[in-house]
Amino acid sequence: MSEPIVIENLTKYYNKFLALDNLSLRVAENENVGLLGPNGAGKSTTLKILCGLLRASSGAAYIDGVSVAEKPEQALSRIGVIVETPEFYPFLTPEETLGYLGRLRGMRGDELKRRIKEVIQLVRLEDWGTVKIEKFSRGMKQRLALAQTLLHDPPVLILDEPALGLDPRGVVEFREIIEGMGKEKTIFFASHQLVEVTQICNQVAIIDHGRLLAYDSIAALEKKYQSLERAYLELTEAPLD
Amino acid sequence: MTELEKLRIVAGYEFLKHIRRRRLYVILGLTVIAELAVLILVPVLGDGFPDNVMVMAALLSVGPSLATIGAIFFAGDAIAGEFENKTGYILFTNPVRRITLVIGKYLACYASVILLILLGYVIVCISLLAIYGSIPIETLSSFGLCLLYAGSVLSVTFFFSSISKGAMGATVITLVFIMVISGIIDGILMMTGQPHWFMLSTNGDTISTVYGGYELFMGGMGGGGMAPFEMETPSIGLSALSMVIYLVVGFLLSIWITKRRQLA
Repeated sequence: MSEPIVIENLTKYYNKFLALDNLSLRVAENENVGLLGPNGAGKSTTLKILCGLLRASSGAAYIDGVSVAEKPEQALSRIGVIVETPEFYPFLTPEETLGYLGRLRGMRGDELKRRIKEVIQLVRLEDWGTVKIEKFSRGMKQRLALAQTLLHDPPVLILDEPALGLDPRGVVEFREIIEGMGKEKTIFFASHQLVEVTQICNQVAIIDHGRLLAYDSIAALEKKYQSLERAYLELTEAPLD
Repeated sequence: MTELEKLRIVAGYEFLKHIRRRRLYVILGLTVIAELAVLILVPVLGDGFPDNVMVMAALLSVGPSLATIGAIFFAGDAIAGEFENKTGYILFTNPVRRITLVIGKYLACYASVILLILLGYVIVCISLLAIYGSIPIETLSSFGLCLLYAGSVLSVTFFFSSISKGAMGATVITLVFIMVISGIIDGILMMTGQPHWFMLSTNGDTISTVYGGYELFMGGMGGGGMAPFEMETPSIGLSALSMVIYLVVGFLLSIWITKRRQLA
């Protein structure tokens, strides 16, 4: 089985602060992997390196075998991304924004129009497609972020706290969408919500202080620690030398 | 898909962004007000319009010059804004080279400023035709220098935008650099008789001095010999060279810095 996401010995310093410490992990095709860890554990840093937003101090990240650092455009063409709560140009509408991003990814004409309509419906923004984004709430922007992630139907999704800012109904709808996508896509998904991770993912990687503490199926971790919550708490409270 | 196609897409959407923003229309309004102020105040406060069409043409070039400074307001947030507002999380995760994004943004800003400059020169030409029945050929040189000056101001702004954390900071730093720092050094160099053709503020003056230099300007307004020191009009050729250097160096630096900049 191929491994669309490969992280090899990633180390990242922010000045003298060590955010990632020789982190390695591989995500197999069509696996849905949750990346868990406390605040400052290195989750966002890992995902941002995978998306080419940050450069690793050492080590490498690959998307479908393509080095993100060496060939970022080629690597990014295979992924859909939500990082934190992204912002959009307030002067454009969702349709214009998706048109812009879709065209940058080589989509054209009727195919693009049809796909924009589909993803806007999927995230329930049908009534807002031609309204300028400056009028949008945080939750609506998060829905639009999900729409742009799915627009080009990428085989790999990299999601960092994607349900942040959504109302309870939005969270449920969001989980259902991602869960549906997860059957045919590879998902690498950072979250603080264990419930969310349990619903969407079949494997989890737990990190703290930039180090990988565990990487296993949820079933195996539950068997070993009684529950995923206990696994998380026990693993992340251990003092590091 | 080629980078050239992506460049066209980026420039097109960035231009659309500028067209939708209020600041374009504010600068447009200020340009018109500046031209109207010259057209109304010069005959009211003086003895009618100057006899020499060149003097009036030089005076009216204040509008296009103002439009050029508008470039700072378009470009201040071009790069810094992507980092400050986190729009970069969406834009930079697309398969587009950062150099393409910077060039596309630059072209869109330039197109917006050219629109304003064109409007300024349309007013200049119509006014001169209405008052004097002729337009000096130097207006064409003034227009060319104005476009070049706009390009150099844009490049300097892009450079400050690429190193600044915020858009407001980039805009203020650029304004201070061009209007205050460059102006002060320019003044000192001029007073001490040193060459000052390489100062951006001097380069901006060529948009009006192309009509005949500082002497004609002062004389035409009845203020001959006003300056307490000799004001040497900088060479148009050297000023153009200086603007090309600002344009190229500022632009290349902004690309290089943006390519290396991380979005934490």
